Amino acid sequence: MAQVRGSCESFCPDGEAKMRIREKLLHYFELNNGQKNKPGVLVKEFTRSAADVKMPLPKEMRTEAALTKTVEYLLKEQPYNVAYDFIFDRLRAVRREIVIQMYHASQKICLLEPIVMFLAYSRYRLCEEPIDKFDPKICNQHLQECLTGVLCCYEELEDMESSREPTIRELERRCFIESLYQLFNLGSPESFTRALTLPDYVRRDATRDATFKLCFGICLAFQQGNLYRVLMGVPQLPHILSAVAAAKLQAIRRSLLQIFTHAYNNKQLTVPVPYLLRLLLFDGPIGLQDQCRHYNISLTADRNAVQFNKTDFNHNAEVFTPQHERFVESKLKRIYIPEVLLLKKFN
Amino acid sequence: MFGTVNNYLSSVLHAAQDLDGESLGTYLSLRDVHVQNHNLYIAQPEKLVDRFLKPPLDEVVSAHLKVLYHLAQEPPGYMEAYTQQAAACGAVVRLLQQLKDENWCLPLMYRVCLDLRYLAQACEKHCQGFTPGHVLEKAADCIMACFRVCAADGRASEEDTKRLGMMNLVNQLFKIYFRINKLHLCKPLIRAIDNCVFKDSFPLPEQITYKYFVGRRAMFDSNYQAAVQYLSYAFSNCPDRFASNKRLILIYLVPVKMLLGYLPSKSLLQRYDLLLFLDLAMAMKVGNVKRFDEIVRDQELVLIRSGIYLLVEKLKFLVYRNLFKKVFVIRKSHQLDLGDFLSALHFVGLNDVSLDETHCIVANLIFDGKIKGYISHAHNKLVVSKQNPFPSVSL
Repeated sequence: MAQVRGSCESFCPDGEAKMRIREKLLHYFELNNGQKNKPGVLVKEFTRSAADVKMPLPKEMRTEAALTKTVEYLLKEQPYNVAYDFIFDRLRAVRREIVIQMYHASQKICLLEPIVMFLAYSRYRLCEEPIDKFDPKICNQHLQECLTGVLCCYEELEDMESSREPTIRELERRCFIESLYQLFNLGSPESFTRALTLPDYVRRDATRDATFKLCFGICLAFQQGNLYRVLMGVPQLPHILSAVAAAKLQAIRRSLLQIFTHAYNNKQLTVPVPYLLRLLLFDGPIGLQDQCRHYNISLTADRNAVQFNKTDFNHNAEVFTPQHERFVESKLKRIYIPEVLLLKKFN
Repeated sequence: MFGTVNNYLSSVLHAAQDLDGESLGTYLSLRDVHVQNHNLYIAQPEKLVDRFLKPPLDEVVSAHLKVLYHLAQEPPGYMEAYTQQAAACGAVVRLLQQLKDENWCLPLMYRVCLDLRYLAQACEKHCQGFTPGHVLEKAADCIMACFRVCAADGRASEEDTKRLGMMNLVNQLFKIYFRINKLHLCKPLIRAIDNCVFKDSFPLPEQITYKYFVGRRAMFDSNYQAAVQYLSYAFSNCPDRFASNKRLILIYLVPVKMLLGYLPSKSLLQRYDLLLFLDLAMAMKVGNVKRFDEIVRDQELVLIRSGIYLLVEKLKFLVYRNLFKKVFVIRKSHQLDLGDFLSALHFVGLNDVSLDETHCIVANLIFDGKIKGYISHAHNKLVVSKQNPFPSVSL
C-alpha cells in the first residue's frame, strides 16, 4: 500500500472547519472564549473508519509537525479536568492519523508518549467522577492500547540495525513509559516477564534511572506476595507513576486487611489504628473506618483499635473504587502538569 | 540421492501411489539427504512437476523444490523459502481435505509443518523488517489450518481418522506459542485434546512432549499440583537416552516440587547438571533468605531464560518459613517474640527489614497456612498452636 502523507499544517483541516462552523458543530472549547457561534481554535474531530467513508485525502490529514503541535496544544492550553472528553476525542483523531499515515516507529513514539501520559493522568485525576463524566474502563482500555503501541515501537527501533543509539533524553522517556506500563499492569506475569527481558540499558542502568529500578522492586515484591514492600515503595514514586500505582492501592489494602484478619485473629486482642494507618497508607482514620465497615471488620468502641476476626471478613464485598490519595496530590501539586505530560520534565 | 529430477519425481509418484506417507514425508523433508542434490534446485519447477503429479500434490512438490532453490542461494533466501513452504503447507491442507477417510498422508503433513516452523525460526533469526514473532505467528496460522482439518475429521473409523495427527500439530503449535509468549492461545488446543476420545492412544513421544508443555502452562497459571502431575509423567516416561530432554523437564519440575515442599536429591541434580537448584534448596532448607537472594541475583539470567524466575521468587516465603521455624525450635516456646524473628532476619544478613515488615511476613505465612497461630500486636508476640505449629509444606 502506498504511503499517504498529510499536507494540512493546522490543527483542523479547512474542509472540516468550514463544515463544522456552517453546521454549528463546534465544541465548547472550540468557541472563542466560550461565546456562542464565535469560532475559536478548531481541532480535528475523531471519526471512525467505515466502509462508506472514503480514504481521507492528504489535505484532510495533518503533517507530523502539525500533529505534534496539536498534541502540545491540547495538553497545554486546556483545563483538562473539565475538557477530558474533548481532549480524549481530539487525541484519538491524532492516533487515527498516525495509523493511516503509517508513521515509522520513532515518529509514533513522539506522538504516542504524551497521549499515554494524558490517559494515565486522567485515569487518576478523574477516578472519583461519576460514570457519566468519566468511564475508567474505556480509559484503561485506551491506555493499555497506547502503551502496547509505544512499547512495540521501542522494540521495532531496537531491532533496526540502522537506527542510531537512543539519546539520553529518549532513554529517560522510555524508562518512564516502561515504568508506567509495569505499574499499570502490576501483578500480571506477562508484563513482569517483559520487565525481566528488557535490554540492559533500560534495566540495569540504575545510575541514570532509579525510577525503573524502584518500579521493578515494587512489581517483584507484589509477585512474591510481599505487599508491605509494595506499599512502602509506592509513595517514593514520582508524580504520575505514583498516581498510576494509586489505582491499585484499594485492592492491595483489601488483600492486606484480609491477611490481617487471619494473622491477628483473636477475640481478646486488638491492633492499634495508627499502625494500620501507617502500613496501609491511609490519610486518616476515616478512610480506614470506611473500609472496616465495608469488609465487616470491627473497631473497638473508642475507635482506636481494630479487632480482626477471620470468619467475619466479608469476601463478597467489592474492592473500593480508586480515590485521590494525599501523597499523590501533594506530588502533583508540585509540578506543572503540561510539562510533565509532554515529557519535558520528569521530577 | 535420486540423481535427476525425473528420478526424484517418479519416486514421489510411487510413494503417493503406494500410499506410503513415511517415504513421501522423507522426500519432502528439508532434513533428508536429497536436499544436497543440486539437480533439484529449480526456480520454476511447475511444468516439470505437472508431468508426473496431480494437484494438489504437484503444488506441494513444486513449492518444496522452490524452497530448496531459495535456500541454496548465497546468502540463503530464508524469507522466500518460508513463503514457499507456507504455500506447500496450504497445498497439504487441500490434499488432506481431498483424501476422505484416509490418513496415510499424516507423516507428510508432520514433515511439512515441522519444516515450516524451522524456516520461520530461521527468518526470525536472520531477517528483518517485521515485528519479532510475526513470522512464527503466521506459521502457526498455517499449522492451525492443518489442525482444523484433522480435528474436524470425526466420521472416519478410528484407524483412518486424521484426528490421530492432532497431538503432533498441537505440540508444534505449543512450541511456537511458548516461543512468542502467547500462552493464552494454548487453551483451546488443550481443550481439543482433552475432548478427544482416544487422547491416550497417541504415540508416547508425542504424549511426553504434550505433557511437558501442558505442565509448563499449568505452572504459569499457578496450578502447581497439575503441573507436577504432567511434568512427572513426562519425566518418568522420557527414555534415559534423551538426557537433555529430561534435563529440560527437570528445570520446571524441580522448582514446582520445591514450591510444594519437596527438595530435590543431590544425585539427581548432579546427574543432570542442575546444581543451581541444589544451592537454592540448601539456602531454603536452612532458611538463609540472604543467601537465597544472592543465588537468585547471580543466576538471574539463567532463571529468566528458562522462564522460572518468577516461580523461584515465589519460593521466598518458604525460606522465611524455614527460618522462623528455626527460631521456634531454639526458643522451645509457644509464645515467640517478633523481635526474635527480626533478629533472625538480621542474623542471616537481611539488614533492610523492619519490625513492621516482619509482622507482615509472619501475617502472610499465617494466612497461607504455613504457620498455625496468631499475632498479639500489643505484646509483639506470635502465639503458635500447640499442635503442629509449622505444618509440613508438602501434603
